[in-house]
Amino acid sequence: MSAMSGWLELADIQGRPKRMWTQSLSWVLFALGVAVYLQFSIARHRENPDDRVMPTGTQLMAGVHSAVMDQPEEDDPLADGASRWERVTHGMLWKDTVASGERFGISLLLLIPAILLGLHMAVFPLAESVFLRFFLFFDKIVALSLLPILFIVFGIDQWSKIMLMVIGVGPTLVLDTYNLAKAVPREQVVKAFTLKSSNLDVAYRVVLKQILPQVINSVRLNLKPLALFLFAGEMIASTDGLAYRIALMRRHMGMDIILPYLLWVALLLFVLDGTLRLVNRRLNPWY
Amino acid sequence: MVLRAMERRAKQRVMPVRAAAETEIALRDVTVRYKLAGGGSKTVLHRLNVEIRAGEFVAVLGETGCGKSTLLRMVLGQEFPNEGAVVVDGKPVRRIDARCGYVPQKYALFPDRSVMQNVLYGPENAFCGWMGRARPRFWRFRRELRAEATQMLLRMGLKSGDFSKYPGQLSGGMQQRVAIAQALMMRPPVLLMDEAFSALDPSTRASLQQQLKDAWQETKPTVLFVTHNTSEALLLATRVLVLRPHAEGETESNVLVDMQVPHTNEPLSVRRRTREFEQLHEHVKQLAFRESDGGTELVPTGLVQEMPRRGDAAE
Repeated sequence: MSAMSGWLELADIQGRPKRMWTQSLSWVLFALGVAVYLQFSIARHRENPDDRVMPTGTQLMAGVHSAVMDQPEEDDPLADGASRWERVTHGMLWKDTVASGERFGISLLLLIPAILLGLHMAVFPLAESVFLRFFLFFDKIVALSLLPILFIVFGIDQWSKIMLMVIGVGPTLVLDTYNLAKAVPREQVVKAFTLKSSNLDVAYRVVLKQILPQVINSVRLNLKPLALFLFAGEMIASTDGLAYRIALMRRHMGMDIILPYLLWVALLLFVLDGTLRLVNRRLNPWY
Repeated sequence: MVLRAMERRAKQRVMPVRAAAETEIALRDVTVRYKLAGGGSKTVLHRLNVEIRAGEFVAVLGETGCGKSTLLRMVLGQEFPNEGAVVVDGKPVRRIDARCGYVPQKYALFPDRSVMQNVLYGPENAFCGWMGRARPRFWRFRRELRAEATQMLLRMGLKSGDFSKYPGQLSGGMQQRVAIAQALMMRPPVLLMDEAFSALDPSTRASLQQQLKDAWQETKPTVLFVTHNTSEALLLATRVLVLRPHAEGETESNVLVDMQVPHTNEPLSVRRRTREFEQLHEHVKQLAFRESDGGTELVPTGLVQEMPRRGDAAE
């Protein structure tokens, strides 16, 4: 009876389902995904024991172990007595995560000036007249089409990929910040000036502080495009990184490595997104 | 040394003592036109001449579109006339500055700051720039300021438990109380209020009217109060300006009535129940809004003529 009323609560727009029900249901699709995968994997392996497209649970666990503990083929082998920790920090997954993370982190830092530019464009008429039209146009350029130019200008190392990410996401973030800052009620700006604020006070202590939570949310929404550009760059020309490894394993049909990598990337982005959400809540308790 | 001078300056936020007849706000031959989307233009204010003396409480009344808020925005420095000049505190208005305190109808408070932080924001800016806040002298000044702000907020009807709340956690009436306290903390020579109470329920509105009146009587800033509400204008103001929409081809000013309102110290709740007040209210309401009802000639009748008019008072 109780279970029945729980279901009814969930189906009713005005219902107030118990937390236990909502929490349990939020895991259903994950469990379903795993079950369907395993079902298909077992079926394929029954037909062909050497199937490499859908590795079994055991093969996947072996793949995870190999990704974490084994060194990349291109590196010099570790000494025989290397500790477990040394093996992890010289392993494929660690090395690729650090390489991609470094690119990702630098790009995120380089997006801070983009946010400030958007703010200045919204607040100062001079910046608006100089930059707005340019960014409206520049935002429409498909960033990936610039990749050959970036390779020529920055070489095929780190910076071409970082610039691809910044050019891909930067203009969107500039325009988003611009729109958010423009939407701050005019009364607030007027009020701030009557309270003896300077131009910079109005820009940073009034407007930026008010739009900061939305700007952080905008960055959160742009995490995936940022990762997309990172992957595009790494897949085309790289010697390390998560996407490089996935591209490399694709050639060997190494699905036992690709699938853990794929889930690892999703997990990293999920954790980063959650961290930003937490930071947002701590920094802006009023929002 | 510099900080000491800044501290002195910040403490002198107090309105300077002025002679009662000194003109605080002057609009001289002010004309404002807006371009219309489909071409052409609309004249909102036409050759408007208004002088407001220091310490006056002037209510601006009139129909929608007659230019009440435009008038206020020009005094504030947010808009500029096509012709004529606006002078505040003896100097022409060229930009928005701290000469005028401002309480709008909405968005009066910074949503990211607590009540106390909102009230302290202006005086802290007046004390020193952002860099000066690292000095111990600033923090001493801030402690004094906090005590003053506490008094101001309590006087405006807030409880000490509300001081750490964000504006989003307060009711509309509470927000406006804080907004008035925020503006008054700067002790501006001029306080501009644009339909500040129009979104409030009648009882909150009545209590805020009384608190504003008390605050005005205490510090006597010059108040320009834009409202749609006739009784509010008559209860609070010492002078009422009734504006009318400008009709094309008219050459005279938009000011329909510029009259002194008998000012007493009795509580507003008592005053609004007197017969004289009801008569005055009915009459001014007719003057301000009759044109849309019947379009008959707008001539002040006996009751208003009995009131001391601005010219009469000077004689």
